[in-house]
Amino acid sequence: MAADVHKKKGWEVPNGSLVPTDGQPMERSESPTPGLVQGTEPGAGQEGGMFVHTRSYEDLTSPEDGDVASRSPEEGRGDQADQTSMAHISKDFSELSTQLTGMALDLEEEMRLSQENEMDLSPQTARRDSARSEKEDEDVTMEAWRMHQKHVFVLSEAGKPVYSRYGSEEALSSTMGVMMALVSFLEAEKNAIRSIHADGYKVVFVRRSPLVLVAMARTRQSEQEIAHELLYIYYQILSLVTWTQLNHIFQQKQNYDLRRLLAGSERITDNLLDLMARDPSFLMGAARSLPMAAGLRDTVSTCLQQAKAKSLVFSILLSRNQLVSLVRRKDQFLHPIDLHLLFNLISSSSSFREGEAWTPICLPKFNSSGFFHAHISYLEQDLCLLLVSTDREDFFTISDCKHRFQERLRKRGVSHALLEALRTPFYSVSQVGIPDLRHFIYKSKSSGLFTSPEIEAPYVSEEEKQRLLELYQYLHSRAHNSSRPLKNIYFTGPSENLLAWVTSAFELYMCYSPLGTKAAAVSAVNKLMKWIRREEDRLFILTPQTY
Amino acid sequence: MSGQRVDVKVVMLGKEYVGKTSLVERYVHNRFLVGPYQNTIGAAFVAKVMSVGGRTVTLGIWDTAGSERYEAMSRIYYRGARAAIVCYDLTDSSSFQRAKFWVTELQNFEENCRIYLCGTKSDLLEEDRKKRGIDFHDVQDYADEIKAELFETSSKTGQSVDELFQKVAEDYVQLMAFQVMTEGEGVDLSQKNSTYFYSCCHH
Repeated sequence: MAADVHKKKGWEVPNGSLVPTDGQPMERSESPTPGLVQGTEPGAGQEGGMFVHTRSYEDLTSPEDGDVASRSPEEGRGDQADQTSMAHISKDFSELSTQLTGMALDLEEEMRLSQENEMDLSPQTARRDSARSEKEDEDVTMEAWRMHQKHVFVLSEAGKPVYSRYGSEEALSSTMGVMMALVSFLEAEKNAIRSIHADGYKVVFVRRSPLVLVAMARTRQSEQEIAHELLYIYYQILSLVTWTQLNHIFQQKQNYDLRRLLAGSERITDNLLDLMARDPSFLMGAARSLPMAAGLRDTVSTCLQQAKAKSLVFSILLSRNQLVSLVRRKDQFLHPIDLHLLFNLISSSSSFREGEAWTPICLPKFNSSGFFHAHISYLEQDLCLLLVSTDREDFFTISDCKHRFQERLRKRGVSHALLEALRTPFYSVSQVGIPDLRHFIYKSKSSGLFTSPEIEAPYVSEEEKQRLLELYQYLHSRAHNSSRPLKNIYFTGPSENLLAWVTSAFELYMCYSPLGTKAAAVSAVNKLMKWIRREEDRLFILTPQTY
Repeated sequence: MSGQRVDVKVVMLGKEYVGKTSLVERYVHNRFLVGPYQNTIGAAFVAKVMSVGGRTVTLGIWDTAGSERYEAMSRIYYRGARAAIVCYDLTDSSSFQRAKFWVTELQNFEENCRIYLCGTKSDLLEEDRKKRGIDFHDVQDYADEIKAELFETSSKTGQSVDELFQKVAEDYVQLMAFQVMTEGEGVDLSQKNSTYFYSCCHH
């Protein structure tokens, strides 16, 4: 598998000719296509976006959020000044690696020992498990358990298990103890463990005091991306308990069993992990908008905008993890991570399908210290309305907003058209008219939205779909590699060719048949961009509304 | 559905996995969904119109999550409730301990809320009597002590589910009738007065 990587210097224009957008570092404001500055690319909203400006993947992962104070000192990465010390650390790592694999073997030993102890688990444990999905009941002694593509573990700094993707946490408590030992061992040397690479596995550690998150993956994802997924799990936990509460609890009692508080949320976390493996939204750090006629969307948005209440912050209309409309309070922006967590919450439970749900939820990127209250209801089979309020007492007011919205839709006579649009949530790549093009993902950075056609043949089976996403993941990780980012990538694989193009305004990933040439692929970019421009008012949300 | 006026606020309380949602599901939609357990997130609201002796009564039912995580929030769901259906799993004694906790909460914060103790999953006992996790008479004594009604239901077979909610609605209607009566007396008194003055002026 050869990755043909090239940087076309010729495309770049001098910095001076471009307006640096939103105080980005100058190096990022270089746009390969003059005129396509952020905000003018296809899909860019007319009055700014709906989301917090996350200019790039790095912004999403960089530890600049509110919980910075809590972070353990060894995580002060990301600073350019730390570059040298980073080199130092990685050197230390290479020296350590043998020692660590040695410990990893001990870990397996430990695991085997723990299995013997497993027999005398209290009946209480058994009961608890009966309430969880069968997936959780897996026997950790079985080979099948070891064969999973990606394990995810969450533990407290006291080494207490919080979550395990497969198998019960009780059975894995000694394994998690070893993980904590690894973390502490390096910490004692004023160092931090980031990952272990051995035997086709990547073991990635993310420390977010008071929690430690560990992934053990056999996927082709980069360490950075796995860490990114672990961060999502961390935010998922925050969304349930808030950062403030989490810290308060562990300050009070270091060996607190967090599972008590998270009981019943395993399904949400499981779903998040599954979703990240098949939905490119997470990789793109953006939301997919449901294609629909611009006029229709504007009417729907206006109806949503008019059904407002004092305590409402966001009104979100979605269909199967695709955004139909989002209305926000002026000056308040939603972060894509928060939106993903909301999408995940809704898709992880069928309990929202009946009645009206009213649930506290923390949007950790917006404010990690408090709860919003979300009113969740399904208007139709696949149409979910999410109203985010600041006031927990406001259920009936918000519920009334829902009725007013439905009433307005009916009066404007768009209910039917909306349902029609929901029936065709995807479009075919053949509409673009590029014969060799099989699939693509295009993200407009300023709107935080991306568009992508339906995945069609030959990517029919789940494995093939998965493989395609993995290829995109690979290109994405190369393009966003923190030490050596790339702008243009042409990748020739045995079954397809891929092209990636990342600028300050947009990101484009294209998948071609393996028979095409590079020249043809590059020339097709223009055609695709023109097509997206022509269809942008259908594919994107160009006129987002505020209350 | 909820745009309408709600006459009786009913709150479902109890440990997770005792079957509060199933109970509401059986009552409102008359069905029992078989499948993996889905815990409630936050709380769900549903309104149901029913008739008691020719009168329509709207029950606004709050189905709360049993998870400890929402415990601090729970007061917003039971505040002002006229009826609380406190559920426990007939086969799980720990869930009864949890029910007692909710009863104490209600007694402390919502004096005017009537309590209905509800033992769930009674169909499991039919399969095997030994599965009963807590003695019936003990529960009965406790119910008497706290002046609560006691029901044993099965959402799977539908046993006693309608009766439970019917009782909640009937109690409400009765209470209303009683209040109207007492209020009526007050009105009578003032009317007497006004009649008196009226007649006084007239003559």
